[in-house]
Parts: sequence; structure tokens; C-alpha cells
Amino acid sequence: MSSQSVTVRQATDVKLGDLAALEVKGVRIAIANVNGQLFAIDELCTHEQCSLAEEGTLEGSVVTCGCHGAQFDVTTGQVLAPPAVEPLKVYPVLVEAGRIVVEV
Amino acid sequence: MSPTFVIIGGSLTGASAAATLRQVGFDGDVILIGAEQDLPYERPPLSKQYLRREIPFEKALVRPAVFYEQNRIELLLGVRATSVQPVDRLIHLDTGQTVGYDKLLIATGVRNRRPSIPGLDLPGVFDLRTVSDADALRDQIVAGRKAVVGGLGFIGCEVAASLRQKGLDVVGIDPSPAPLFRVLGHQVAQVMAGLHQDHGITTIFDDAVARFEGQGRVERVVTKRGRRIDCDFAVVGVGVEPVIDLVAGSGIETDNGILVDEHCRTTADNVFAAGDVATHYHPVFKRRLRVEHWQNAMQQGAAAARSMLETGRPYDDVHWFWSDQYDTNLQYAGFHHDSKELVVRGSLERRDFLAFYLNDARIDAVIALNRGKDVRRVMPLIKARAIVDPRLLEDEDVAMRSLAHAEVSGGQI
Repeated sequence: MSSQSVTVRQATDVKLGDLAALEVKGVRIAIANVNGQLFAIDELCTHEQCSLAEEGTLEGSVVTCGCHGAQFDVTTGQVLAPPAVEPLKVYPVLVEAGRIVVEV
Repeated sequence: MSPTFVIIGGSLTGASAAATLRQVGFDGDVILIGAEQDLPYERPPLSKQYLRREIPFEKALVRPAVFYEQNRIELLLGVRATSVQPVDRLIHLDTGQTVGYDKLLIATGVRNRRPSIPGLDLPGVFDLRTVSDADALRDQIVAGRKAVVGGLGFIGCEVAASLRQKGLDVVGIDPSPAPLFRVLGHQVAQVMAGLHQDHGITTIFDDAVARFEGQGRVERVVTKRGRRIDCDFAVVGVGVEPVIDLVAGSGIETDNGILVDEHCRTTADNVFAAGDVATHYHPVFKRRLRVEHWQNAMQQGAAAARSMLETGRPYDDVHWFWSDQYDTNLQYAGFHHDSKELVVRGSLERRDFLAFYLNDARIDAVIALNRGKDVRRVMPLIKARAIVDPRLLEDEDVAMRSLAHAEVSGGQI
């Protein structure tokens, strides 16, 4: 699959501890701000597709889905707590000249 | 010789315990005995996505088959343990065989109650606990058919919602004034009544199924108040009972379940119990509780495994569960029994709220409708038995997040 970088947002839009939702070429992505560093993950929980940006809470690098309590590490996408089984996809993300660039 | 740990109960609790034993590093033999033929699976989807044919059964498995091979967990499935002899450390199976153990975990769960309702055994009358129950019920689901759901507890409510979502005509009957009346309390239960009515369920409260009638198959339900309701099929959800027959005469004490302490230890040496079957002492609420929900099955199974390895700590998780009905997500955390005060943040009418049950300025339980993420923030307050100010709880301008941090770290706000 060819990946493509897309400039999506001002870096300052995603505050510390925030999860911001965006759509990149039809893929719903959440940008997490963990201690000033940005990570991009699938925005929908792998358990039952609840929106992590809307329903989830981010504490450090752990996002907890508000629907059924599944937890993921946003830096790796790995499942930390069930009921989710499948990890979240993670996407390369970087900040260029104050703008967030995600590779999908 | 390496020790043998046996787990009776091939569902979420048992599978969680087996997985935890290996995770913590237990190197002996692990045998998991399950009465059902299937690999351990999770039951929440059976009344929802699986019933509506939105997910395959494999999605409900706790772990794939290969997990048990890789972790040397021996599965004895389709086999029922009939009795336990703690003195000889022996389990008798319905196959006539016996299995010896060094340590034993009983996680037999609950079974559906079968009250003596005339016609309950008629074809077309279903209940729901296992995947084969769900398969049988699934075959009945055809848009336009008419179903009666007797008993609007969690299973009844979820089944009623699923049937309605699939385009069936549904009549729901419950002896209480509203669904989930006992567990949610009347104000929140009324909200749930409205939810079902708005989705087109015909609800009948303060009444119950007296009998099922039909020639060779159920054709109608007759209620105690004399209503006659024609139907194509019926589903009953009228409560459960713990599966404790196997410990009769064993010296393992029971009281509405198998009695265990906060380390999941029964009254017999080397015998533990967890999950739906375990009436456990809860250090936060300082009383015995028996809980029939997913999180407890998962976590208490893991806690019991650690206790078996003597690396356990008291199991004091705040109980939590969810129920999805239509597009509404209900969550409950804690335990309330005789709470004096109900404080609501948000709107009952709009079905967007947190409802707190309080006793002496402490939160016993929180119920959330479409506000799941705040439940996580309340759970530490419940666990800490923190003193809270009801005015702040109900004030939408005070973020739950700040409240939770202030409370748990500082004690008072």
C-alpha cells in the first residue's frame, strides 16, 4: 500500500492530554498529545467501533474507551485491557512548521 | 512432581484464571473443565451483536484455540463436574471419571431459573444463557413476527431491543413498575421504560406471565392479570441461580453462591471460587456480594489465579457493568442497596446523565446513560469512599475530571 503524507491540522490544536479526531482520506484517525509528543491511532475502538476521541479518556499514554472500558497504549496501539482484542493501528505522525503531518 | 491446578467452569472467569496462571508464571498442569462443548466465550454479545447476526461466534471467544495449546491449558469440554471432595482433593465428573487436584477454582457461574410456569416447556418458548440458546433464538428472528419477552432484567431488555431492531413486534412484561427496577431504582428505571416505549415496545408492568398456551407450540401468553397476548414465540428472562450442586456435602459453605473471602478462598483448604457463583466479601462495601457481570468474571478470575499462586492481594475492584440497548449505552459502577439520596447531573428526560446514589455524602453507585467516560472518573471516588458535595456532583459546569482528581488526592473539596 502506498502511504501518503497529509497535512491535517495546526499542531497547537491538539492540547496536552487531548485526543483530536480527524479524517484522512476516509480513515478516521485520532491524534493524541502525550506529554507534548503526538501519536496517531485509529479513532474507532476495535471492540465495537466507539469513537475514542468522543467517548474515550486519555491519561498519560493510555486511552480508555468510554463505551466498554477497553484500554490501549496510544504510542503502540497495543491492547492493555479487554474487552478489545485487536490492537489499534498506529500511523506515523510528525510536526512540520507547526502543522501536523500524518502518513496513511 | 509438578502441581495440578484445576478450574471447573469453562467460561470467562475460568479462562481468565487459566490465562493468568500462565501469565504469572505457574509451570504446573492446568486443567479447565467446561460443561459446554465450546471454547470459553463471552456472553455479552449473545443478547446483542451475535443475536442480531452482526458478528460471528469466533468474535465472542475469550481466546482462540491456539492459545490453550500454546499455554498448555488442558481443556475438558462438554464435561460436567458433579461433585468435589476437598479432603481427597478429587473431582467427580459426569463421565464417571475423577480428576485430582492440588488447587481448585470453582467458576461454575449461574444457570437460568426455570420457575414452574405452565407451558414453559412448549416449543417456541426460549431462554438465553448459552450460544446454543442464542442460535435457537436467532432462528426465530424474522421481521414482522410477534414476540413476548417475559422479564425485563438486563437480558430481557437487551433481547427485546435486539428483536425490535430486527423489525419484530415486541411485548415486554415485567412484575415491577419499570424495567430493571430493582437494580436501577425507580427514577432511572422509568427512563429505561420510556426508552423501550419510544422504540415501539409494548410494555406491560406490574404483571407477569401466568402461563404459555398453544397447540403443540406456544401461541399466546396469559398474564396473572388475565391479559392474553398472541405471539409467534416467547423469551423468558426471570432470573438465575448459582450452580452449586457440585459442592453439596463437601463442607464448602454456600449462601446464595459459594462463600469466599476477599482472596477468593472458600471454607475448604485449596479450594477457591470466583465469578458469578462466588458470594465474595468486598472490602470497599464491607459486605458480601455476588455479581453476575463481565468485568467481575474477568477480574475476579484473574484475582483468584493470583491467590492460588499466593501472590494475590484482596480483590477490591469496584464492580462495573454496561448494557447496550438500541443506541443507548448504560453503565453502572459501585453497589447501592439502601442509598438515601439520588443526585442527577444532566437530564433524565434527554437520556443523557450521571445519576449518583449517595449515602452520608459518599457515592455508593453511579449510573450513566450515554456518559460512559465519566464513570471511569467516578469509580476512584467510590473506591476511596470519598466525601463528596452533591451540589458539585450535579453542577455541569464542574468537570467530573477535576472533581475526581481533587477528591481522590485531597480528600475534601
